[in-house]
Amino acid sequence: MSHRAFPWFGMDIGGTLVKLVYFEPKDITAEEEQEEVESLRSIRHYLTSNTAYGTTGIRDVHLEMKDLSLCGRTGNLHFIRFPTHDLPVFMQMGRNKHFSSLHTTLCATGGGAYKFESDFRTMADLELHKLDELDCLVRGVLYIDSVITSGPSECYYFENPTDLDHSAQKPYTLENHYPLLLVNIGSGVSILAVYSENNYKRVTGTSLGGGTFLGLCCLLTGCSTFEEALEMASQGESTHVDKLVRDIYGGDYERFGLPGWTVASSFGSMMFKEKRESVSKEDLARATLVTITNNIGSITRMCALNENIERVVFVGNFLRVNILSMKLLAYAMDYWSNGQLKALFLRHEGYFGAVGALLGLLHPS
Amino acid sequence: LKIEDTQPETHAFPWFGMDIGGTLVKLVYFEPVDITAEEEQEEVENLKSIRRYLTSNVAYGKTGVRDVHLELRNLTMCGRTGNLHFIRFPTQAMPRFIQMGRDKNFSSLHTTLCATGGGAYKFENDFRTMADLELLKLDELDCLIRGLLYIDRVGFNGHPECYYFQNPSDPNSCVKKPCNLDNHFPMLLVNIGSGVSILAVYSENNYKRVTGTSLGGGTFLGLCCLLTGCETFEEALEMASKGDSTNVDKLVKDIYGGDYERFGLQGSAVASSFGHMMCKEKRDSISKEDLARATLITITNNIGSIARMCAVNEKIERVVFVGNFLRINTVSTKLLAYAMDFWSKGQLRALFLEHEGYFGAVGALMELLKTSEDL
Repeated sequence: MSHRAFPWFGMDIGGTLVKLVYFEPKDITAEEEQEEVESLRSIRHYLTSNTAYGTTGIRDVHLEMKDLSLCGRTGNLHFIRFPTHDLPVFMQMGRNKHFSSLHTTLCATGGGAYKFESDFRTMADLELHKLDELDCLVRGVLYIDSVITSGPSECYYFENPTDLDHSAQKPYTLENHYPLLLVNIGSGVSILAVYSENNYKRVTGTSLGGGTFLGLCCLLTGCSTFEEALEMASQGESTHVDKLVRDIYGGDYERFGLPGWTVASSFGSMMFKEKRESVSKEDLARATLVTITNNIGSITRMCALNENIERVVFVGNFLRVNILSMKLLAYAMDYWSNGQLKALFLRHEGYFGAVGALLGLLHPS
Repeated sequence: LKIEDTQPETHAFPWFGMDIGGTLVKLVYFEPVDITAEEEQEEVENLKSIRRYLTSNVAYGKTGVRDVHLELRNLTMCGRTGNLHFIRFPTQAMPRFIQMGRDKNFSSLHTTLCATGGGAYKFENDFRTMADLELLKLDELDCLIRGLLYIDRVGFNGHPECYYFQNPSDPNSCVKKPCNLDNHFPMLLVNIGSGVSILAVYSENNYKRVTGTSLGGGTFLGLCCLLTGCETFEEALEMASKGDSTNVDKLVKDIYGGDYERFGLQGSAVASSFGHMMCKEKRDSISKEDLARATLITITNNIGSIARMCAVNEKIERVVFVGNFLRINTVSTKLLAYAMDFWSKGQLRALFLEHEGYFGAVGALMELLKTSEDL
């Protein structure tokens, strides 16, 4: 059975991060191994024997999918990420390892597939096969959900989302899940209504996304990374920063069902010097997280209502190691819809575009 | 029966309407100009003193301001003729205001003080204990609509109260045009104060609160103060007018190298607000003015985006923007007009009103005069 030449990669070059999926074949015959060119072997060893690459590349080992059957081959699917900022280093590496001599197509999606197309050509003599990021996202989500049959469920939700401290993660089956609202929270946000594998539309988007959270946090607290920002947020109190309904009404705004603890004006207390001087960096980080998350939740809810869809799936690397935002989203969907909407999450969060690109390599339509 | 047509046998002066919001208190005061010699003689001292104090000053204490350019002259209300004055001061100065009411013996005037906004509830006790004043509390959204429709009806000293921008997407031919809200139902009403409320209004007495967002005027000011060190709304706007938000925001072209054609997103569209600020080199290279501008654009576009979704959801084509976030803020006003027009391909129209943030207070005043009709 002839197949696409190895290596099999799918790449998603986003606004902040590059997501790379790599299929490591485990069923290589003795004959294949002998014929395998040095550069291919070297790539395979480099990727699979490290979990960190250079100073900023990371392989998310906990997400590895073992013994996957793909296009008649069996192997492990690896999930790797690095900042888009370091793409030149990556391209240099591709050049040094003579990637172009492997005559393989490099399937890439995300804005960077367009932005860096020329650079790949001139710096590493590589031709990118460009694919649309939302096509890849949808394809990737549906594929991963369908092949995970053992181990932890890909899809999950939070039971009792209105009790944030005690809500537990529960598995969920996405099968027969149409229609779905798919909310992709990366640097920015895209919201899609998915009716079937090949039928979806981009409903809307918002520019207040993960990039906004990180950018504002860096400015307000002096932090430098996403992990630092989240760490600070976990220790802060946003009610020191926001103006709540009870700060304005002295209690609930009963007429329109707004409880006193609802935020009336995000960062609204920060117009007062005394308040600015009394809040901590942690409080500011928390308020930024809560503001961005709740805004996404609110816009999502309006879309779900508009499109008559009850299941909302949140993906994207804003949610990576960010259980606070996931719980807030789960809560918001449930509370403001009186239990009509359900928030769902997927373990492979921000990698679906890259998976979709890999599938684009193997099953070109 | 409309307020402008009713006859005397009215409530005792002074006539006030008050809207105690999250950031600002808005006060409207009706100054009668048809006082007869007899009335003048009978007028008690503190009433005369209040009238003189309010009308002969344009600033009160350190933070009170009378918006003289908004004064409505020779207005007829409940059979009386007078000028309607528009005054504002920060809600933070409320204790001082209550103290003034006590010093001027306001409670002896046996007049009802009609108040709306959250503060009517929050400060109710303080008014009672500090100044012996009973507030008649009214819902802020009821008052907003009532006040807005009234001012639109009576007009702005012979000129229209309402306006829109023709050709908002073309800076060269974009021009302000008057209009009239009458027969403009249904309309989407977007009130941008500290926070935002969005209402679908079907008629004077039939409306619903569709949704709201907590990213409002208070967010703009709060974030600006933190990011730039400014202290007032005016300073924040001044800085924003000089900045370039594209140094701060990550645009579609920064990610795609151009347009994202497949989904109709131009390269100049913002993909990630403040998205460049995760890079130290970029943080070190931008100015406070750039940050102020980015904050203004981000908040304004978010409101525009949400308003647009509501308009589509509710199937309404006219979107009216009010509230003090738009006071002296032409950047936001024009941006909202552009956003409504552009993203809806001309289906939606943004409308604005000259008296911006005062409609709640006007509605409260009208409630005062309405109750007297029933006497």
